[in-house]
Amino acid sequence: MTPSAIDVASVVALSGLDGMTPLRLRMLVRRHDPQTAVAVARGEAADSVFVDHLVRSQLRRPHRTDWQRCWREALDRVTVGARYERFMAAGVGAVLYGDAAYPECLVEDPEAPSILFYRGDLDVLDGRRVGIVGTRNATATGRRLATGFGLGLAERGVRVVSGLARGIDGYAHRGALAAPGGGAPPVGVVACGLDVVYPREHRDLWAKVGECGVLLSERPPGTAPRASAFPERNRILAALSELVVVVESRSSGGSLLTAREAAKRDITVMAVPGSLASRASEGTNELLRDGLAVPALDATDVLVALGLDTRRANRRRFDPRPPLAAEERALFDLIGGDAVTLEELALRSCQELVDVALSLGRMEAAGWVVRSGGWFEALPAPSVVPGPPPAPWS
Amino acid sequence: MLASVQSANLVGTTGRAVTVEVHVGVGLPGFTIVGLPDESCREARDRVRAALLSSGLTWPNRRITVNLAPSGFRKSGIGLDLPIAVGVLAASEVIPVAPLAGFGFIGELGLDGSLRRVAGVAPMVAAMHAVQPAIIPVVPVANATEAEVAGNGEVRVVSTLVELVGILKEGLPWPTPPPPPIGPEADIVPDLADVRGQPLAREALEVAAAGHHHVLLTGPPGAGKTMLAQRLAGLLAPLDAETALEATMVHSAAGLALPPDGLVRRPPFRAPHHTASLVSMVGGGTAAMRPGEISLAHGGILFLDELGEFPPSVVDALRQPLEEGVVRVSRARATVTMPSRVLLIAATNPCPCGGGRPGECQCSEPAKARYLRRLSGPLLDRFDLRVYVDRPAPDQLMDGGKGEPTWVVRERVAAARAHADRRGHGANSTLDIGMLDEVAPLSPEARLILRRELDQGRLSGRGLHRIRRVARTVADLRGGAEVVTERDVVRALYMRVDVLKSAGCAA
Repeated sequence: MTPSAIDVASVVALSGLDGMTPLRLRMLVRRHDPQTAVAVARGEAADSVFVDHLVRSQLRRPHRTDWQRCWREALDRVTVGARYERFMAAGVGAVLYGDAAYPECLVEDPEAPSILFYRGDLDVLDGRRVGIVGTRNATATGRRLATGFGLGLAERGVRVVSGLARGIDGYAHRGALAAPGGGAPPVGVVACGLDVVYPREHRDLWAKVGECGVLLSERPPGTAPRASAFPERNRILAALSELVVVVESRSSGGSLLTAREAAKRDITVMAVPGSLASRASEGTNELLRDGLAVPALDATDVLVALGLDTRRANRRRFDPRPPLAAEERALFDLIGGDAVTLEELALRSCQELVDVALSLGRMEAAGWVVRSGGWFEALPAPSVVPGPPPAPWS
Repeated sequence: MLASVQSANLVGTTGRAVTVEVHVGVGLPGFTIVGLPDESCREARDRVRAALLSSGLTWPNRRITVNLAPSGFRKSGIGLDLPIAVGVLAASEVIPVAPLAGFGFIGELGLDGSLRRVAGVAPMVAAMHAVQPAIIPVVPVANATEAEVAGNGEVRVVSTLVELVGILKEGLPWPTPPPPPIGPEADIVPDLADVRGQPLAREALEVAAAGHHHVLLTGPPGAGKTMLAQRLAGLLAPLDAETALEATMVHSAAGLALPPDGLVRRPPFRAPHHTASLVSMVGGGTAAMRPGEISLAHGGILFLDELGEFPPSVVDALRQPLEEGVVRVSRARATVTMPSRVLLIAATNPCPCGGGRPGECQCSEPAKARYLRRLSGPLLDRFDLRVYVDRPAPDQLMDGGKGEPTWVVRERVAAARAHADRRGHGANSTLDIGMLDEVAPLSPEARLILRRELDQGRLSGRGLHRIRRVARTVADLRGGAEVVTERDVVRALYMRVDVLKSAGCAA
């Protein structure tokens, strides 16, 4: 075993321990070199701050597991070497934080994983990356939208980063893989070991993502999915993305955690507005209402936000409404941004009430003005231009 | 000795002929009235006695029985003082019985023997005429003109009981009725020229007058809603003979001051306050069944200012009389039918705070909901014209020229009415649905516009018919073209705005 292989084996062994959260692992391996870290975990370098901290926290909360004993026993039972064997057999690569091969986009991240297991090509991460996330209980519309986003982005060379979960995640990758002539390679970030396929029905998709792009996890092979691992996975997903799109989400959905992680990192979040009646859109609509997300209606909106599509950026969007005649345009300009009555408009335009009413009727049918009660208001072009990025997360 | 005197009584706005029979005979001195008299009749007994005595006439100290025939309905004492007094005098042989035959007596006596004005003389005289066409009414001086209008033109007036005894006993000539006071042809109705700006509301008033469409003016306080409503009366043509007589009957029955010539020719304008009770609006109350405001406005205009403040029960009670043109008031003792063909104009704030512009309203949600609930539903449906009246712009108030004066608009209205009369289906607002295609055919463009409104869900089936009727009136005002054009329909549409939506902060 080469020295670097021993380091990897040590971190692999540590990362596989029960109760070894990414935070604890990071604290261990940032303070000590990997082999010392193993010793610390076993309690053989007991004076370390890290273990002291753990022990103290156990004193305060006696019901908590005595991790140090657990870890010592675990490390006695299975040698570091045996862990490494298993990981090698799974056909999975691993990079340590600080290695030259470690993805550049994660290096700066404050919560970067200490070790990344991967299957596929890590170089895939050098390129534009957009995370697409959403609820597992997606509506038919949501699934179609997710596919559309995946396809549209992959076509234009943007890597789709997603979690390979049921629902939106899966469909985003399906769309990305369906890009004609092979679009940008997909990036999958999962919460369990790379040899444990979860959910089972995504076996093919899982394999295909590893084959065409890259699959990432911070858990060693053999780790079963656990509820607490998913939010941790979401942080990697967000950190890997330049922009996160939430397609559909319930108001307490995990995708909102991803959105929050993204916002924490000053990463633009986009959300697809949905019907108020749909539970699956509650979360996205709330994001939009709270100003935490910019609306995205299709892949082009995302491309514009990435600066990849300059056709629509900073220019007036195509207005599908039938153009106005000269005198109607004059009326439209007279309405301005305010609600006006028919009488006011007749007064301003020095026309008869009937003529103004006739013009307004035509403009209303064409979608230029809207009437409520006796008031008329001018309407903007039908769809919304993506605004500036949202205010930083507070 | 027996005497029989013709008179009449009032129930609602119609009179009923009453024969007052007086018997003076032997027995213990006494005075009884039979034939379903009410409380006020018993008062008549005391007044008659005092009047006779203070006039220097003798009161027969014998048994006096007065019968009011027919005995089937309850009589109020109003106007029966005079016939009872005359009957007593005749039965006690102070005056001869024979000359009484051709006369009908109505009047109230003062204790000094003078005759006072009585409410409802016109319908009472009409009732006596219906029974006995040649009858000549004898009434107090103040009631001369209305008795003349309601009868065949012949009337006798007296001012005191002594005078009457002189005429009947000694054959003195009847005094001539006083000539009607010649006042200026009082057109006290305010002029439309005073209204600055408000083109939409002016147009709505014109259409309302021409087609007899009810109008609702919505707008913030100070927009001029009341001012506009008061000017609607001036746009209506003088009442036709029949309606004038009906209106006169109602006004007479209510004891309102009548115009100098006795006949109500100008369309009346009634503006009851929003605290008005149900009975005061619809009619009823006393045994005599006073006409309500809606009957007093018959042939003219009923103006409900602050419609939202009227109790819902009161406003709802107006619905059926508005539809039928008559109001039937039923009580245990009697059922009366009174005319109630009115043009309704109402004014309301869009919400309690009166904020008009979208987003301007400051009302709490419950307060607004409560307010709108009062306005909602079937009542709003009665208004063919619903326009929003905004405060006029400052430059219009200060520098704007005078608007068109009433007489110009009235001429246009009269011309439009003439078109409707030529078709012979009455006012446009009451056009039968089945007649619409024949009377108000739509041009293809007009059809298209209505189609669009229906598709948008802004127009119901009933709304469609109402719009078509208003459009017919608009076309009449334009010159009475056969076909209703796109422009007519558009004008009808913008004069029927959804009030609930324009209220305050509706987006």
